[in-house]
Amino acid sequence: MGHPAARRGGIRPFGILSILLPLYVAVPLITLLLVTTPRSLVEQLASDMALRALVLTLETTVVATVLCVVLGTPLAYVLSRHDFRGRDLVDTLIDLPITIPPVVAGVALLLAFGRRGLLGRYLDLAGVQIPFTTLAVVMAQVFIASPFYVKAARAGFDSVDATLEKVAGTLGASPWRVFWTVSVPLARPALIAGTVLAWARSLSEFGATMMFAGNLPGRTQTLTLAVMSAMESNLETAVAISVLSLVLALAALLVAKRLAATRSLWI
Amino acid sequence: MRAKREGALRRLSGLKGLGRLGRLGRLNGLLVQWMLGFVLALSFLGTAWAEPLRVFAAASLAEAFTEIGKTFEAAHPGVSVEFNFAGSQLLRTQIEQGAQADIFAAADRVHVDALREKGLLGEAPVFARNALVVVTPAEDARVRDLTDLARPGIKIVVAGPTVPVGRYTSQVLQKMTASGLYGDDFQTRVQANVVSQETNVRAVLAKVALGEADAGFVYRTDLATAATKIRVLTIPERLNVVAEYPIGVLTRSSAAKLAAEFVRLVTGRKGQAILVKHGFNH
Repeated sequence: MGHPAARRGGIRPFGILSILLPLYVAVPLITLLLVTTPRSLVEQLASDMALRALVLTLETTVVATVLCVVLGTPLAYVLSRHDFRGRDLVDTLIDLPITIPPVVAGVALLLAFGRRGLLGRYLDLAGVQIPFTTLAVVMAQVFIASPFYVKAARAGFDSVDATLEKVAGTLGASPWRVFWTVSVPLARPALIAGTVLAWARSLSEFGATMMFAGNLPGRTQTLTLAVMSAMESNLETAVAISVLSLVLALAALLVAKRLAATRSLWI
Repeated sequence: MRAKREGALRRLSGLKGLGRLGRLGRLNGLLVQWMLGFVLALSFLGTAWAEPLRVFAAASLAEAFTEIGKTFEAAHPGVSVEFNFAGSQLLRTQIEQGAQADIFAAADRVHVDALREKGLLGEAPVFARNALVVVTPAEDARVRDLTDLARPGIKIVVAGPTVPVGRYTSQVLQKMTASGLYGDDFQTRVQANVVSQETNVRAVLAKVALGEADAGFVYRTDLATAATKIRVLTIPERLNVVAEYPIGVLTRSSAAKLAAEFVRLVTGRKGQAILVKHGFNH
């Protein structure tokens, strides 16, 4: 079967051209694996710098992802179910962190929440200083990664048959109960896929973190910042941390893909 | 509807041979022509424009070298000088990884010696000297003298340990601690206040000028770029360091002669005058 065009053998130049991009992506990533040995990998990843960066990254990305889910789920549901004035505006705004350069997001965060910032100056009066703290790392990650969750969650809620929710309502279930027993279970694959993508994106956050949180081992130096710092002193460490990040990203993507393809309630 | 489409498809596949040879073949040819044209245009542009002289220089040299570069271009019509200003450690890594560069001017000997050992860099004489100062935000500074640096809760930004200015900072702190003038464990207490290790001196300056950090260690020559936003605390000369800047031509340079002329300009009378104007060699 397949698409008619595919049955006819396709457009020949497309066959050749479509090899180029995957090849282009694969070659550098495979190189990353080739320039290192398992032994050096283990040795370098056991280094103080790599371990501290890994622990900090896992802590911050998990917190950031939870925040994305907690704040993003109600938003995605509202965007999906209600047509209100300014919905397109909110929708665009929420997508914006995908397209603006992360380093610009970092400057914006610094100017807003920094000690002399628009909001930060009042926080400072209250004794709260955000820049250069682990909180700043989490905030940068939430800023950059949230659209990935909200987009996926909204698509998930959009795909839920609204009549099922109505039926549950007419059977006497409260909206709250309908949400938890009908909407969330049916949108579940999309919600989990979005969660994984948001986690992966916060894992790869660099620019905003560098600007807003600075670079201090153990406090704000995540894996990506550790790669940058190591690149300037020890290439082997940089490669090892890069390989680790690559593996984590690949795993996240595979999980997200698997979930996006399934409609079953249980993974 | 479906049958209609199938019929149309069958008719199309009847023309298959012709389609392949004719339309698709022509499309293929067109693509190849386009690509060839593109490659030719690129290579033409490459030869039409002369290669620029590529200078990799420490971030602290930005203003002085930009001015020296203009002087060089004025004396060499048709030659353009391109700068890559960054932390010396980053420039060294880029060069080691094969970046195309003609000249390397660093803020310390460490990275220059590393490149020389690998045979990547020729002779590298010292052409400038610099020293460190402590900067604080101009408004409501929480650090009023050097002793304050060790007070708990102060936020200090430094450059990373591989960045020349970061290494100089540790040396100064060691000397300050050894002098006994700033209290016990001065260095340890100051290090505990460090909130970020930046990749070059200008990033340190920026965070202090923004008011996000209470103090930072930078070069004396960096002040001009943020003069109104910062206050300066001088470090006593005997506790300070002499930062030495070497410059050399890279052995892989494709314009070694021109590069050597640039080095001569920097080490010569004209270049030195410009460096002094920007605060070096005091």
